[in-house]
Amino acid sequence: MSDALAAAQAALVDSLVAGAAGPPGFDVVRLATVRRALLRKRAGEIARIWPLLAAVHGPSWAGVVAEHLDGVAPGGSLRDGWDVARALRAAGTLPASAAEELASREVAWRYDGTSAPARRRLPAVRRGGRIVFVQVGGRTVRLG
Amino acid sequence: MAEPVVHGTGVGWRPEIAGVVADLPELDFCEVIAESVDPAAPPRGVVELRDRGIAVVPHGVRLSLGSADGLDRHRAEHLAACAAALGAPLVSEHVSFTRVAGRDAGHLLPVPRTREALDVLVANVTATQSLLDVPLALEPIAALFDWPGEELTEAEFLTRLLDRTGALLLLDVANVHANALNRGADPRAVLDALPLDRVAYVHVAGGSEHAGDAAHGDPGVYHDTHTDAVPDEVLALLGELCDRARPPAVMLERDGHYPPAAELTAEVATIARTARFAGPTRLTGTAP
Repeated sequence: MSDALAAAQAALVDSLVAGAAGPPGFDVVRLATVRRALLRKRAGEIARIWPLLAAVHGPSWAGVVAEHLDGVAPGGSLRDGWDVARALRAAGTLPASAAEELASREVAWRYDGTSAPARRRLPAVRRGGRIVFVQVGGRTVRLG
Repeated sequence: MAEPVVHGTGVGWRPEIAGVVADLPELDFCEVIAESVDPAAPPRGVVELRDRGIAVVPHGVRLSLGSADGLDRHRAEHLAACAAALGAPLVSEHVSFTRVAGRDAGHLLPVPRTREALDVLVANVTATQSLLDVPLALEPIAALFDWPGEELTEAEFLTRLLDRTGALLLLDVANVHANALNRGADPRAVLDALPLDRVAYVHVAGGSEHAGDAAHGDPGVYHDTHTDAVPDEVLALLGELCDRARPPAVMLERDGHYPPAAELTAEVATIARTARFAGPTRLTGTAP
């Protein structure tokens, strides 16, 4: 439709959400302000899908999201929150309630970290916090 | 003046405040985020309002009419399906882009005010209109930055866009306030330059000022948050607008940190009073 403008728009989006340098001519201070505002907004959206993960971090939640997702292109709130939860688990800093939330998702869904999560067709068992989740035929049971 | 399609006082319907909205006295219309509506099964609260005779306006936020790589026809069809499902008198979207070339900013971003971007918008808006059975109103966004090399003022750009497409104007006075403050301009001068005869309805929303970081050359900005109370300056600007051209309809937009019911109800009443929709003029139905 308009290749030059499309390329300019793509460069702008990359600078705001994917860590690219700001395109020439723009007010870099304002672009940085928008980038921070977008991360705050993203934190709020993830909190809707991952309520326990967000709640357990309280007022520092937006900072946690900024730390893990600044410069990472948005993958949608489900995947964004999943990535944050897994990063915290890998670092050994995922609190119990959020670990249960993550396990309850992982027992029902497969997520490879790069594409949209898909429902598991086979039974699975996952442990998170003090709970063991068992999923058979799409139904999940909490044990513990 | 364009033929009015909605009248009176409205509010942005959100699931979190469905009960408060249902109880609002003298509600004439509401807006619903189009992307949150399944046309086959619209939210029950919205259907109940419509059945009470309250007009419902689907408000798109992800159509990305400014995308230079073309319109997502599927999303435009969804907007049209929402309008049909809800018996809407019109629909609205933004003068903005959110997606391009496989990327999604997840946010309304400004388009450059150039002839090239204007042609893109005209093409996408026209294609959308061809799918709609009702009028489309376009809302200029609050933007924290401008593009380099712009050729037109915001008023010139909008006037040309509306003239070429026949679209109506959804004027957000909080956006006018935010942009004027962040650009160091006079919001009243902006109002004077806008095509106010094309206004279909008006948005009013809250925001907050964030202190800048002088050490890094940041003078601070006004954020159009929709999660704060409506500032007095925005209400005053609504009054300034009504002095120039009284809009047919005005509504409150709130998108989070919802206040207690009484506070929200009072804010809607204040907006109605400022736009002079409340009181005797409303009862007699005569213009002031």
